[in-house]
Amino acid sequence: MRSRAVGYFRPGASWLHARNPLTKLLGLLWVLLAAFLLPPWALIGLAVGLVSAAWSAGLLGDLVRSLRIPALLFASILVVNAFFYPGAGERLIPIGPVGLSWDGIWFGVVSAGRIVVVFLAAVLFLFSTLPDDLLEGLVARGVNHRLAFVILSAVQLVPRLQTRAAAILDAQQARGLTVTGSLRTRVRAIVPLVGPIVLGSLIDVRERTFALEARAFGALPRRTAYRTVADPPTDRWLRAGLLFAIVAVFVLAFSGVLPR
Amino acid sequence: MTDAALAIEGLSVRYIGRREPALQDVSLEVAPGEIVGVAGRTGAGKSTLALVGGGFIPRVVRAKVDGRVHIGHVDALAATLPELAGKVGIVFSSPALQLSSSKPTVREELAFGLENLAVPRAEMDARIDSVLARLGIGHLAEREPLALSGGEQQRVAIASILVMGTSLLVLDEPTAQLDPAGTADVAALLGELAADGRAVLVAEHAAEVLRMAGECLVLDAGRVVGVGPPGVALGSSIAGRAGLRPPTLVTLAEAAGLPPAAAFDEERIAAALRRGRPTAPPEPTTTDLSVPTVRRAPVEPIEVRDVVHRYANGVEALRGVSLTVAPGEAVAIVGQNGSGKTTMVKHINGLLRPAAGRVSIGGADIAGRSVDAIAGQVGFVFQNPDDQLFHGRVDAEVGFGPRNLRLPADQVAALVEAALSLAGLVAERQTNPYDLGFSTRKLVALASVLAMEPPILVLDEPTTGQDGPGVERVGSIVDSWQAAGRTVIAITHDMEFAARHFGRVVVMRDGQLVLDGPPGEVFASDQTSLLASTGLVPPPAARIAARLRPFAAPADAAALLRLLAAG
Repeated sequence: MRSRAVGYFRPGASWLHARNPLTKLLGLLWVLLAAFLLPPWALIGLAVGLVSAAWSAGLLGDLVRSLRIPALLFASILVVNAFFYPGAGERLIPIGPVGLSWDGIWFGVVSAGRIVVVFLAAVLFLFSTLPDDLLEGLVARGVNHRLAFVILSAVQLVPRLQTRAAAILDAQQARGLTVTGSLRTRVRAIVPLVGPIVLGSLIDVRERTFALEARAFGALPRRTAYRTVADPPTDRWLRAGLLFAIVAVFVLAFSGVLPR
Repeated sequence: MTDAALAIEGLSVRYIGRREPALQDVSLEVAPGEIVGVAGRTGAGKSTLALVGGGFIPRVVRAKVDGRVHIGHVDALAATLPELAGKVGIVFSSPALQLSSSKPTVREELAFGLENLAVPRAEMDARIDSVLARLGIGHLAEREPLALSGGEQQRVAIASILVMGTSLLVLDEPTAQLDPAGTADVAALLGELAADGRAVLVAEHAAEVLRMAGECLVLDAGRVVGVGPPGVALGSSIAGRAGLRPPTLVTLAEAAGLPPAAAFDEERIAAALRRGRPTAPPEPTTTDLSVPTVRRAPVEPIEVRDVVHRYANGVEALRGVSLTVAPGEAVAIVGQNGSGKTTMVKHINGLLRPAAGRVSIGGADIAGRSVDAIAGQVGFVFQNPDDQLFHGRVDAEVGFGPRNLRLPADQVAALVEAALSLAGLVAERQTNPYDLGFSTRKLVALASVLAMEPPILVLDEPTTGQDGPGVERVGSIVDSWQAAGRTVIAITHDMEFAARHFGRVVVMRDGQLVLDGPPGEVFASDQTSLLASTGLVPPPAARIAARLRPFAAPADAAALLRLLAAG
């Protein structure tokens, strides 16, 4: 059972774990821009870079396992584009007005590739960053601590929901709810599964508000910090480099110097 | 103005949108070094009083409030968070939810409150260490809060409030979700805090906690119906009139003619009972609840053989468990949190599958059957009702299970009616389950499984959060289910509930069964040390009986008194 306290964090002592959360956040932003603005061949470089980073940080196994979750999404992006790409030139297998086309396959592969790369980068960020370090890092940069806490809660929301969803699935199946089988059966199972998640989350929010109030969260305009988040010179240089790289991506993407 | 840590005078509270007030004309004072207990039925206003005392009403929870409330010298009804921060702390029943749930260690969990009070970093560790040491949990400092046991978490939650310098501690059913060892832990802690000069206001059902109070307030429908030492307030004349069942020890002390001061003194109660010849109470009137008899599915034996279960993290939760349950048996499963009780019962309806061993119902291995296919045979009521409630009306929710069994509409309707009346929810049929309190939502969840008329009923901690009459209701349901020849298996932390309503008690420890027998034998004096090794103690009546003479352990006060009267 994974604990909820640390969200997706996988403890470690690698170079990636040691980076300041803001450096990693900036890196994530750069990967996002590069994946969508640069020509498709750049995706190969980004993917290789991310996989090597994960390998050197001892997170490759976790990263590969995490790909199981969105695998269906990637596959559907690929298939939908391959068959339904509008204005496709030559259709390999025409099916009425649509059909399998080279243009569609290419577009599907590129779209799925972009999302895979961004997904890998985001997961790597979550795996190597303790949510609390992110919070303190943001507050240290002048972000309002309430806003920072909202961001932190968002990062932790998914693992919390996963735990709850598993419990709800158990409880409804135990009342005879069938969740496998025909499409009709599956659709009918949605309300009994999603209903308690939504209603339970509302109760959860109320109780979490109580918990924060009881601990005087937000009582004073300023707060002190127990954790000190390391920000070595390497990180400052890295962030300067990343800012430059972000500008470079924009310049390269919109100047037309790169071959498409 | 007095020196009281909390002073409430003429308090009335009405929630927005409600016609009936939650509290009316309540006055109380809690002085430093004093524990004041609040007892009452579910809905009597205990939580509301705790929320006012903790400075949450009207600041966090909106309500119309009249009267005067002072926390220290601060007018709590007009105060802002900065004025109250660090002066009062409130602890709720669910420890996991009141921890910030983002901190990797207990130390940082405690630091969270200090950060919010802008305590300089250099002072934090000393303050944290001193509170941890005082609460005897220094060894937990570097552990992960959410990985701790319930009792440990509740200690951490209390520590996280105290570290802020709080001199007034308000607790709202702090032991509702704890096992017996955890409850004893919290009760002892409150005593230590009071001895330390803190003021404590605690709303509770558990007699183990209320007995620590110097004074107890009994609420009924929002009004104070009695105040006095626990031995008086919880006795038949005050608590009994407020619809509560007096604690077993208090009942025995009254029967023995002891003064209220001795109401929880087991030695004096035993001595007085030995001397006197108390009159036997009348035989209990059997509450005849009618169970649904629409499906009449056959009741089959359950066999769990050599079952081993490992979680994904490698922890072996069950280490070779074997248990045979004959049709029509009522089995209570007891043991500490983490002893494997829930893991074991989840194998009976296939929610968990054994790593080794087998589970069969009616002689057939259930390995190939899905959970929803077993649901008609094994009804399973979960600990948390909110994991299953999703309908806008109680009756629709209760009908969900029988509809899944694809029964004809008239049968579904008959089952829903029967289940609603069993659970005492007929008047609430049109209510939205989420407008009901937690303990009533638990009864809705129970009814929604009873409506499937399962020949085998499995309950995971059905009495959590129920007041005395609520526990009685669940007990009568168990009795009538079994009287109809059906099987009931329940996990419980309430030993008296186990002894009164179950013919067989199974004790678990570290993923194994360590004791199995009728309650009279399991709770008898010769098993006390084995029980203690599992963090359990026999129910109060059995403890008193053990001091008198070694006969089979009686389940409750009435049973003990009858034994004595018979000589």
